[in-house]
Amino acid sequence: MPQVLNNSYEELVQKAQELFWIKGYKGASVKDLADYLNVSTSTIYNKYSKEMLFIDSLEYYNQTCSDPFLKGLRDNTNGLESLRDFFYALIDALLDKSFPRSCLMVNTVVELRNENPHVTKLYDQYFDNLVTSYNVVLDKAIEMGEIKFPEKRDEYSQFLLGVIFSLSILFKINEPDELRLFVDEQLAFIK
Amino acid sequence: MRYKEFNRNRVLEICLSLFWQQGSGGVAISDIVEATNVNRFSLYEEFKNKEGILQAVIDLYRERYSAAKLELLEASGPTLEVLKDFYLSFLNPNYKHEGCFIIHIGTELADTDPVIKAKLKDYLKEIENLISGLLMRDPDLTAHHQTYAKHLTGLFCTSMSFCLIHSEKERLEHITNSIQVITNKSRKHATGTE
Repeated sequence: MPQVLNNSYEELVQKAQELFWIKGYKGASVKDLADYLNVSTSTIYNKYSKEMLFIDSLEYYNQTCSDPFLKGLRDNTNGLESLRDFFYALIDALLDKSFPRSCLMVNTVVELRNENPHVTKLYDQYFDNLVTSYNVVLDKAIEMGEIKFPEKRDEYSQFLLGVIFSLSILFKINEPDELRLFVDEQLAFIK
Repeated sequence: MRYKEFNRNRVLEICLSLFWQQGSGGVAISDIVEATNVNRFSLYEEFKNKEGILQAVIDLYRERYSAAKLELLEASGPTLEVLKDFYLSFLNPNYKHEGCFIIHIGTELADTDPVIKAKLKDYLKEIENLISGLLMRDPDLTAHHQTYAKHLTGLFCTSMSFCLIHSEKERLEHITNSIQVITNKSRKHATGTE
């Protein structure tokens, strides 16, 4: 995997990410990729490989979609309200299709599980980042006196890790109001 | 007869494996023809198209694999243990495929395919109703059984995705912890249950 992506490669990764997000890793054939990226299949076989494009797509996703979202959460000082807003924003992103097919990370977890060690490493980074961000917010909420059992902070952030995964499935079958109520109730459990 | 007779369930079992490994998008009719040795005309005659095969596979999975696990929710015993056994019954590392096929395929297709969406919704409703019934039988939990059942069904979704990439120990921790957080309010005096 190249450490520094040159412009044209980065553009390819951006495009590839779109396709992987829609079709999944296994659902996007090398032929699909070649057509979508406007290169020949042999370029993909010889120069990049589908796997490399996929791993870089995931990394690109983390950098451009997930990280800025989480940074916004950590910088917010409104305690549990900022968590609620964060999950509401996630619901909006899921529904207005600015996330074409739920969270790319969640899709990948379901599709590939632990089949690929490079991908597993990216999950770990993603989860660490999530837990750290949740803890930052919970600490603020504790300072504000919003949480009755501060000693349970780690249990709560572990619990909250599941919310993104539940929402990624539930948004497909529930109405937006039901999803927002689901978030409100989840947060009520840790108050 | 023009079409070759074949054992429907044998074909569906093979397709279940294919769909589970490759997802719907990764399985072409030609893959099914090759794996099952049934020609495509016979497949189309029976199932109409690939979507028809997938729908029949989901029904077979629910009947043959999922039903017995859902029955665990009707077992007697401490509620939290019954719940834990239920989640873990899908996460046995000795299975060829861990997790739940309906969640797996629903994650891929439920937002674009209305039939899959209806099947996923119906399936999760059944789980929620069974959990609700379980909580109603527990005097400590009966007061909030509907809310808790909703969130314990959410935990089922999480367990069938998030937990798949974790070790057995981590899965158990996440599931136990989440059950505790969800049901804790009404169990203030039962903190020694861990």
